[in-house]
Amino acid sequence: MIQLTQIKKSFGRNEVLKGIDLTVKKGEVVAILGPSGSGKTTLLRCLNYLEKPNDGQITIDDFTVNCKRPDKKDIHTLRQKSAMVFQQYNLFKHKTAVENVMEGLVIVKKLPKDEARKKSAELLEKVGLGNKLDAYPSELSGGQQQRVGIARALALNPEVILFDEPTSALDPELVGEVLSVIRKIAKEGITMIIVTHEMGFAQDVANHVVFMDGGVIVEEGKPNEIFNYPKEERTKQFLKRITPEGVYSI
Amino acid sequence: MKLDFAFIWTAFLQLLTAIPTALAITAVSVLCGLVIGTAVAIVRLYKIPVLYQIAASYVTFIRGTPMLTHLLLIYFGLPIIVDGIAEALGLSFRSVSIPMIGFAYLSFSITAGAYMSEVVRSGLLAVNRGQIEAAYSIGMTTSQAMRRIILPQAFSASLPNLSNMIIGMLHGSTLAFTVSVVEINAKAQIVATTNWKFFEAYLAAAIIFWGLTFIIERLTALAEKRFNLYNRGGVS
Amino acid sequence: MGEPFDISYVFEYLVKLLPTLKVTLLIVVSSIVIGLGVGFIVALPQLYKIPILRRLSQVYLSFFRGTPILIQLFLFYYGLPEILKLVNVDVAKLPALYFVILTYALHSGAYLAEMIRAAVGAVDRGQVEAAYSVGMTGFQAFTRIVLPQAMAISIPVFSNLVIANLKDTSLAFSLGIMELTGKSQTLAVMSRHFVETYISLALIYFVISFGLEKLFHLIEKKLLRHERRLAAEDKEPRLHKGKTKRFRFIAGPGFGRGGRENEA
Repeated sequence: MIQLTQIKKSFGRNEVLKGIDLTVKKGEVVAILGPSGSGKTTLLRCLNYLEKPNDGQITIDDFTVNCKRPDKKDIHTLRQKSAMVFQQYNLFKHKTAVENVMEGLVIVKKLPKDEARKKSAELLEKVGLGNKLDAYPSELSGGQQQRVGIARALALNPEVILFDEPTSALDPELVGEVLSVIRKIAKEGITMIIVTHEMGFAQDVANHVVFMDGGVIVEEGKPNEIFNYPKEERTKQFLKRITPEGVYSI
Repeated sequence: MKLDFAFIWTAFLQLLTAIPTALAITAVSVLCGLVIGTAVAIVRLYKIPVLYQIAASYVTFIRGTPMLTHLLLIYFGLPIIVDGIAEALGLSFRSVSIPMIGFAYLSFSITAGAYMSEVVRSGLLAVNRGQIEAAYSIGMTTSQAMRRIILPQAFSASLPNLSNMIIGMLHGSTLAFTVSVVEINAKAQIVATTNWKFFEAYLAAAIIFWGLTFIIERLTALAEKRFNLYNRGGVS
Repeated sequence: MGEPFDISYVFEYLVKLLPTLKVTLLIVVSSIVIGLGVGFIVALPQLYKIPILRRLSQVYLSFFRGTPILIQLFLFYYGLPEILKLVNVDVAKLPALYFVILTYALHSGAYLAEMIRAAVGAVDRGQVEAAYSVGMTGFQAFTRIVLPQAMAISIPVFSNLVIANLKDTSLAFSLGIMELTGKSQTLAVMSRHFVETYISLALIYFVISFGLEKLFHLIEKKLLRHERRLAAEDKEPRLHKGKTKRFRFIAGPGFGRGGRENEA
């Protein structure tokens, strides 16, 4: 279980997160929606401690970090419980696809190399890249790179995988392949938090939807509730503007 | 003009014996410079108070003055400091026992350190911020991320600069003649004065440096091929 | 080894050294001016890909960047008179200063050629096409469009080259030239106040190179007023493979603007 309590984050004078409370149950797939600048990406990055929240508390799987004065070791432990899939993929440029996936297994999880390689190869097979093990990121398309990124996150068996707009840097024709991989792993019961603009995808794959605006959670609930019967005016406005676009059916 | 080809060959052979000295000066100054430069670069990147100002003035001063003045200042200044300290502590050590080449090593390392800090800094800056975030996101510690992700990428990004640095220090080693170290230039002078064939002797010296520089460039190109494998492009 | 250290001498020697600054600056200015001409001549065959001349200019670049300036100084000082004797020109009596200026000009010429080539190459191809499209001739396009832009781009590199040249002139003493360093050595040996003399010497070099750096920075700002973001983009790390490797070190990102590899 993941629990966020009163997470606050400011950049200078600009308060981006104004006290976020959120609970994510095990195996749940949560989609976070919201206009740009609403703080959704910052929230996700706080969970992985890529941004340091100014205040609040993060609990993942019975491990709690007090964000007011976190211990370096605690941050490290917290990070190991989550994994991130980045908007810009951020594959290690000097490592091949399989090495990218192995890296965390060998260095962080201390798995023997051959075992790590075997596991990584399996994961790449799963995301449809069994034939690209030894390709460098520069030799892969955006969609392929992002699938390696997903495999890299999966490899660590984290409590939760965080997706930061995983398809927004991709060419439209490559979006589908990445979404179908995410859909596939969502069915395996892995806890996921996805920041996305793909409304159709969110509606389809998520079992909990959070709508954020201006640094607060405006509304949350079942996809059906949020998309078809939104209560808040801001949610309605947002959905009206965005729904016609970006619906992918696979 | 009667260019004495036989003497160029003789000079060439004699100059070969000075190559180890030149290479030793180059290697010591580049390696020590790398250590100093890395320390300075880290101090400057992380803006560590006090040290930051010291590091910045060190780099500015060294880069604003000729390498020769560094050597002269060390050569004449260091003994005063060393002897002063030794006397105050009642030690029997005196600066006379420092070998000449020691001054060259020290001074050139200080020179190289300032330039190297810029090489290291730009190398580190060349690594995308997302790379370290990705390393953190899979649970690496800062030192693991540094060792496994940042440094290898920074190194391959700095290879051309490193190569220039090595060539610069190799060429700079010719200054050691001012403190009576017999490197290639000093040796050329000695060989030349034996029978007043200066042109021939320096021609031989030039050929040697040209050759050494060429070798360094080739080796760098090979290293680049090896380390920049991942940059071979393709679809993006 | 010398007299006891006395800081008051530093100022005294500063005053004594200053008059020789004009010799140093004479070498710098004349060698850079000649070097620019040389640089253009060497860069042209590369820019226009002229078959045989291009090879020659590559050899030129390789030699002047592949050997130490000190060796080049001696080589020209001793070698040139002998070569010119072949065509019955006697330059043996010519003052050493001429050889020094020539050597520095040829040396800087190599680096300046690289600078010119890179700067011209850096001007967007679309600029030339646009110039043609409004009916300019090749020459007009070059002088009116490419050159002004290339100049702005190359100011930081040029600044580094001039400062490097200044620092390199400290080696002219080895041919007996009484420039700053040469003078300081005589002063030091006579007074036996070595450290004080060399501190003054370093100070003068420092002030001059610092001043030059600031000056070029101002010029750059002026030339780039049409394009504020260019300077910022230049700082972007672009340290990747290419033919102008050595050049990158000089121009390289994060190198600030004050020096190049330390050949002297």
